[in-house]
Amino acid sequence: MIAVLYGVLILTGVIIGVTGLSDIVLYNIVDERLRIIKQQLAIKIKDPEQLNRAVEELKQELIRAYDLDKPWYARIPRIIYQIMVLDLGTSRSTLSFSGSNKVADIILERIPNTVLMVTTAVLISSLVGLVVGLWSATKVGSLLDRFTSLISAISYSLPTWWFGMVVILVFAYELRLFPSGGMTTPGLTITDPITRFLDLLWHLFLPVLTLFVALVGSWIYVTRSIVISITKEDFIVVGRAKGLPERVIRNRYLLRNSAPPILTNMILGLAGSITGAILTEAIFNWPGMGSLYYNAILSADINMILALTYIYTLVYVVARFILEVLYVVLDPRVRY
Amino acid sequence: MSLLDVKNLKIYYFTLKGVVRAVDDVSFNVREGEVLGIAGESGSGKSTLGYGLMRLVPPPGRIVGGNIVVSGRDIVSMDEGTLRREIRWKVISMIFQGALNALNPVYTIGKQLVEPIIFHEDVSLKEAYERAAEMVKLVGLNEDVLRRYPHELSGGMKQRVMIAMALILRPKIVIADEPTTALDVVIQAQIMNLFKKIKKELNQSIIFITHDLSLIAEIADNVAVMYAGKIVEYGNSDNVFNTPKHPYTQGLLKSIPRLKSKEKLSWIPGTPPDLRNPPVGCRFHPRCPYVMDVCRREEPPIKDVGGNHLVACWLY
Amino acid sequence: MKKLLRNELLRIFLSSSISKIGIIFLAIMIIASAYVVMFMPLDFGLRYWNNPTFWADYPKLVPPEWVNIFLGNKLLRHTILITEKPTLSLEDTKQYILTYSHDTDQLPQTIVFKLNNITFTYTPIIELSVRRPDGRVINLLVIQPLTSGVSERVDLSGRLEVAVALSRFLKDEFNVSISATEVIQRKLEFKILMGTPVISNGYVDFKTLRGNYMFNVFLKSDDPTARIGSVEVVIFGWCYGLMGTDHLGRDLSQALLYGFPVALLIGVVTSVITAVVGALAGVVSGYYGGIVDEVIQRLCDVLNNIPLLPLLIFFMFVIRMNEELRRTVSPLAVIIIVLVVFSWAGIAIIVRSMVLSIKSQQFIEASVAVGASSIRIMFKHILPQVAPFIFAQMMFLTPSAILSEAALSLLGLSDPSIPTWGQILESAFANQAMYLGLWWWIVPPGLLIMYSAITFVFIAQGLEPIVEPRLRKV
Repeated sequence: MIAVLYGVLILTGVIIGVTGLSDIVLYNIVDERLRIIKQQLAIKIKDPEQLNRAVEELKQELIRAYDLDKPWYARIPRIIYQIMVLDLGTSRSTLSFSGSNKVADIILERIPNTVLMVTTAVLISSLVGLVVGLWSATKVGSLLDRFTSLISAISYSLPTWWFGMVVILVFAYELRLFPSGGMTTPGLTITDPITRFLDLLWHLFLPVLTLFVALVGSWIYVTRSIVISITKEDFIVVGRAKGLPERVIRNRYLLRNSAPPILTNMILGLAGSITGAILTEAIFNWPGMGSLYYNAILSADINMILALTYIYTLVYVVARFILEVLYVVLDPRVRY
Repeated sequence: MSLLDVKNLKIYYFTLKGVVRAVDDVSFNVREGEVLGIAGESGSGKSTLGYGLMRLVPPPGRIVGGNIVVSGRDIVSMDEGTLRREIRWKVISMIFQGALNALNPVYTIGKQLVEPIIFHEDVSLKEAYERAAEMVKLVGLNEDVLRRYPHELSGGMKQRVMIAMALILRPKIVIADEPTTALDVVIQAQIMNLFKKIKKELNQSIIFITHDLSLIAEIADNVAVMYAGKIVEYGNSDNVFNTPKHPYTQGLLKSIPRLKSKEKLSWIPGTPPDLRNPPVGCRFHPRCPYVMDVCRREEPPIKDVGGNHLVACWLY
Repeated sequence: MKKLLRNELLRIFLSSSISKIGIIFLAIMIIASAYVVMFMPLDFGLRYWNNPTFWADYPKLVPPEWVNIFLGNKLLRHTILITEKPTLSLEDTKQYILTYSHDTDQLPQTIVFKLNNITFTYTPIIELSVRRPDGRVINLLVIQPLTSGVSERVDLSGRLEVAVALSRFLKDEFNVSISATEVIQRKLEFKILMGTPVISNGYVDFKTLRGNYMFNVFLKSDDPTARIGSVEVVIFGWCYGLMGTDHLGRDLSQALLYGFPVALLIGVVTSVITAVVGALAGVVSGYYGGIVDEVIQRLCDVLNNIPLLPLLIFFMFVIRMNEELRRTVSPLAVIIIVLVVFSWAGIAIIVRSMVLSIKSQQFIEASVAVGASSIRIMFKHILPQVAPFIFAQMMFLTPSAILSEAALSLLGLSDPSIPTWGQILESAFANQAMYLGLWWWIVPPGLLIMYSAITFVFIAQGLEPIVEPRLRKV
């Protein structure tokens, strides 16, 4: 896993270098610094020519310090380091809720919001998916079973964000039942925590519904096919032959053995949830990293886009790592 | 009195393309301490028969007729709960064909061996583990396999575990369905020796199902030869092996290599019939070297040719 | 024997209703695409879609015409009247008459007179007037074109001269006074033009006058050569065409149709290249083993562990930022390349494991023993066995490529010169269509994206029993 993270970092570094993006980023940082230094120097040095010379000297010094005088490939270690510590300077377009314009500050503030939305949706959809998937697996070939594979096909082909737009059209515009976006009612002055929580839930409903619909189909389908394939394993027949009660066969033989492959699928499904959430956030103007991404693209905020690409990859890799540890716990075959 | 009495058993698969008569009107019995060998090519219905004896025929298969009487109780008409609690594993247990996948991969061997004891008998966990340990030693394994997971064992070890598991409740009958097929020759010999030991030491009744007649010759007291869902020859091992009557049995025996024999190896031409649509008359007639007109018209009845040696063939 | 096998597989595939539906859907897609390629200009995006003047005579933000079926003909249809020859030609006057029958209570958004290609030697006088069903005539406007060869476009709404004429008409005929500025402010132009005032409780209201309206254009000049190339009257309705229009008045049905070949192209090209690359890498990796295998597998691990969309966003953004790349590379090509780069690994990993198990089959070992070359073994024995699997994977990759392009379009990162369904949705989102209830702008493009994706999912599901023989019906 660590190797993967390094691989991603090096890849990103190379891309940023080759395309000249790193030059733009670094010159931005240099200019920012020079502006501040120039203001300070202006107090001490009155002669404008002397001031300019001093600034120019400093500029050359900074360019050397940032290795801007060397070709891009010499800077890869530095780029990687900078991305890792999120030292990507400042955002041009956004301020954090507390007023900072540092990329790291802005992103850190928004991570909890994204996590709240994605985990709620993933939890609900995986639970429903597991239950329905199991249920339809016990009735292979029935009408319900065929209906489930149709549902999963639709869910797979559904552009999540488009569904979000339709949901807004129906629930926010036509029926006026839910707010069309945001996380809290603007100007809500009540500080009562229960009211605030209900307000949050009210805002959370539509985006979670959208993600849920997009995710649940594949959950049902995968659970179903995994359970069906395990039903056909020899050890299930052995369990029956042993005269064990059906309940025991279901829990200890069927479900327990389905858990590792279902988990594998969960690992793979994470990619879908994370990427689906980016656009869902943008559509619902949910103040998480996804809408930040959207706004950064609209305003061509390079530093922000770089940092977010890295953060998304990082979140993904970390989530996979956690799930993989879980897998080892669940399946004795991969223990060493 | 016999322990197991199977009468006119019929097991059909109801597929979309037609009814497959996998086991068609089969009768035999097993006495206390007897080893019955059931031989046949793949697709002859012998495995279905094995599953049928435990009423575990996978859908779309169904037992459509006949009786299976074990210790005086008919299990064909028995309700599922009673069958599960009082018959399965307790009276009839089974050693499965694909031993490699027959063990639950996520639990230790010990847990799986103890499981049936806990569910069928009122025994403490500690005692159950002690019995499991004993049984494991009986099948020639070290006690510490109880703590291991199936994937940590070799194929031969897994098959020994399977045998231990089948014997753990000391059932009256053990069905061994191709117990050595997936193993290499050396291990196969070891497992066969284990079966002989069990037969001798425990006086265990075994139904030994295999396509390999030479294995049956090693261990069985009686032999039933199946072809296309029917028993074509049934009798004492010595009689069947020394004086095979049915052309099919003769063909099978000729295809086994022998060290000392000068006879040429041969095989039976053709393939087993499609059981959705078996040939009219004797089901073996398209492949039979002695085929007569009557074979193409009518099914031969099963006849005693002397000394409880039964054959279904118009030649006799 | 081989042919028999192929027929058998085909029979299994076609036996499921889901694959039949998939095939029918695909056929419809192909027919629609063929239609576009044959009858629509390939530079439709640049020449028409992104050219606002082309859509000037279309009503903006109106729903499709067929909603009238559900609303009982309430919405006024968009109408364009046109004539090239004068109806009456006197010696100093040419009269162009265009008759329009108005049969609903709804008034047009606006009415536009278009006088195309006015040619003359001496400046003529052009008078515009309307004769209403009640026989009353309103003289709307007089214009004098300055140079020969120009075209005049007169929009009746918001034009002071017209408002003055209407205000006077109201006063003269019905003795109701509303000032010209008020007419413009309250947007009363067409209420006056096409209605009769009704006064109740001191308020002036208008009742729409149904019947035939005659729009007259008089070209008055002593110059016999003076003429108008063509006269058009556009009555801007409240519904248009099969799929309605967007904020620029663009006919959505055209772009929706044009989206078919684009979606098909993106999906199929991506999946074919991905499958080929993945299969080759998998076969090579599995067949040769050793260091080659190790390198390919580690690369696959890395690629498989990257979330696709953030990276796609990143790449597309990089392209957009870099002037040189933007000019030389089509964003569509970049989407396809990036999708391929990050998708082949999944196929390669599974193909490799299949190759490993196939390699140990006896006949392959036998082929090696008799000295068959590696290439021959790969193509003759290994590829045919993994082919159905690769094909099924291709069917799953196609929708994901279509969906990815749509997602990037929403972020404004796709190729603007080629309209796609995703881009229609992007402009709908950017113009807040869902807060304004403009469902015809939102629902159809999404449904089409879904349609094209589900076509391939159905085919893939139909292929399942072939790839996974365990699922075959007995």
